[in-house]
Amino acid sequence: MAEATTGRRPGVRFMSRSRLTGLLTVATVIALWFLLTSVTGLVGEFRFPSPPDFLAAFARLASTGYAGGTLLEQALQSLRLVAIGFAAAIAVGVPLGFVMGYDRRAEAFFNPIFLVLRPIPPLAWIPLAIVWLGLGDASKVLVIFVAAFVPSVINTYTGVRNVQRTLIEAALVHGAGQGRLIREVYLPDAAPMIFTGLRLSLQASWTTLVAAELVGAFLGMGRVLSTAYRDINTAMILVSMVCIAVLGAITMMILARVERSVIRWRKT
Amino acid sequence: MSEIVIDNVGKVFGEGGGRPFLAIDGVDLRVEDREVISVVGPSGCGKTTLMRMVAGLEHPTSGEVRVGGKRVTGPGPDRAVVFQQFALFPWKTVRENITFGMRSRGATKAERDAAVAHYLTLMKMEGTEDKYPHQLSGGMQQRVAIARSYATDPGVLLMDEPFGALDAQTRTIMQEELVRLTNDNPRTVMFITHSVEEAVYLADRVVVMARNPGRIREIIDVATTRKAEKWSEEPIDDVMEMPSFTHLRGQVWRLLREQMGSDI
Ligand SMILES: Nc1ncnc2c1ncn2[C@@H]1O[C@H](COP(=O)(O)OP(=O)(O)O)[C@@H](O)[C@H]1O
Ligand SMILES: [Mg+2]
Repeated sequence: MAEATTGRRPGVRFMSRSRLTGLLTVATVIALWFLLTSVTGLVGEFRFPSPPDFLAAFARLASTGYAGGTLLEQALQSLRLVAIGFAAAIAVGVPLGFVMGYDRRAEAFFNPIFLVLRPIPPLAWIPLAIVWLGLGDASKVLVIFVAAFVPSVINTYTGVRNVQRTLIEAALVHGAGQGRLIREVYLPDAAPMIFTGLRLSLQASWTTLVAAELVGAFLGMGRVLSTAYRDINTAMILVSMVCIAVLGAITMMILARVERSVIRWRKT
Repeated sequence: MSEIVIDNVGKVFGEGGGRPFLAIDGVDLRVEDREVISVVGPSGCGKTTLMRMVAGLEHPTSGEVRVGGKRVTGPGPDRAVVFQQFALFPWKTVRENITFGMRSRGATKAERDAAVAHYLTLMKMEGTEDKYPHQLSGGMQQRVAIARSYATDPGVLLMDEPFGALDAQTRTIMQEELVRLTNDNPRTVMFITHSVEEAVYLADRVVVMARNPGRIREIIDVATTRKAEKWSEEPIDDVMEMPSFTHLRGQVWRLLREQMGSDI
């Protein structure tokens, strides 16, 4: 269900105070950037690009392309892999975490496996993934899956374990069966923790994807970054960093929207 | 038939680890079908524990509880509970909370809407059906919790100090409503309270408990006097000033005060 439109209504302030502060900060940083590079030349172009260099590199990536593709192709490639890996990880991770939190036997069975797997940093899986699956999409998806899987399992598990006892009891004494108990008590009470897990999973997806693409890839934002590094093209390095940040932020915003529409009962 | 039989029930907490604690010792009590009993006693005497065993939320260590002839092994919609801490679902609106138990027994949409309208009018909470619990005051939340259990229409209604958070006026309304409900649609009620007035006004019998270990000190009959003196034909305030009422109230008071003395 779409929420009521939150468009500007008469009487509502055009811009909130914190928004204004944020804009001022960005403006200050850009002004300082100009000052240190183009205006005074205090920072040389090999160490940090000037704003015009940055824009030129961006224009080049967007139009003719760089490192085997245009910005759109590179970004879509990375987005696609993140989407597949993240979706697969939470499709398995959330139900698994739920079962572990809900059922003592499942908890006893799966917990030891996690105690062994958890301390392995996700990035440590990259070599194995490449040896198994090569430099193509499959190895990246595997690495994202491994990285995103753990936070979604652990947080869902914790959320379900901590469902309020009195609410479970209230549902039982008012005749709820197992199905309603899960749908109307466990899931909503655990939802905030589940979404915390999803946020961490999404973050982990981007981190590991870029790392995996840096190690070796035919296309993608990490490939742009590693190529720019080999070319010692600081402007392009900065462009790819900013693009990765923007892509990550967009996906986080989409997730936050989903969270807000699912958890409508929360205070404030 | 929904009579409650508490048959030589004992409850020990912490048997697994730690120091075992005898919370309830050898309680025998029979609550007849459609009888209303209230339970009073010093805090910690096991009132809540006793009620939770009837609800099936706690299991007796010895003895057994039977409701309608069947041994209680777990919770069920035939025994709705009004919890002391409300226990409303934060993600459900007032409407959804009130109709939660009704849905368990397959009430139609029309029945549910009618019940919501009925209870909200009764509790002077019109217009709140789409609010979430956190948008309500404590007293309003408690009223919604009470409505949820009433609307479930159980054979047995278990209430743990349900009117504690209400202001005096709402409290009186809810007390009268409970009497009205149990007259219109009689059911077995176990009502825990710390108000002696409330205990005597609402119940057919008042169960006075003692602690260390939790047990029944005495059971005082009210129903005979209520019928003889026609309490149900008078407003609540007048009843509470009748000699027959104050006499019973004094009797319960003395039993409780006697225990305060034994504290020292
Ligand atoms: N789950 C529990 N574990 C251990 N002790 C408990 C538990 N529940 C209640 N008790 C103890 O049992 C006694 C009776 O508690 P309760 O039934 O809540 O009393 P009341 O409702 O009359 O105030 C208290 O001493 C309390 O500390
Ligand atoms: Mg209690």
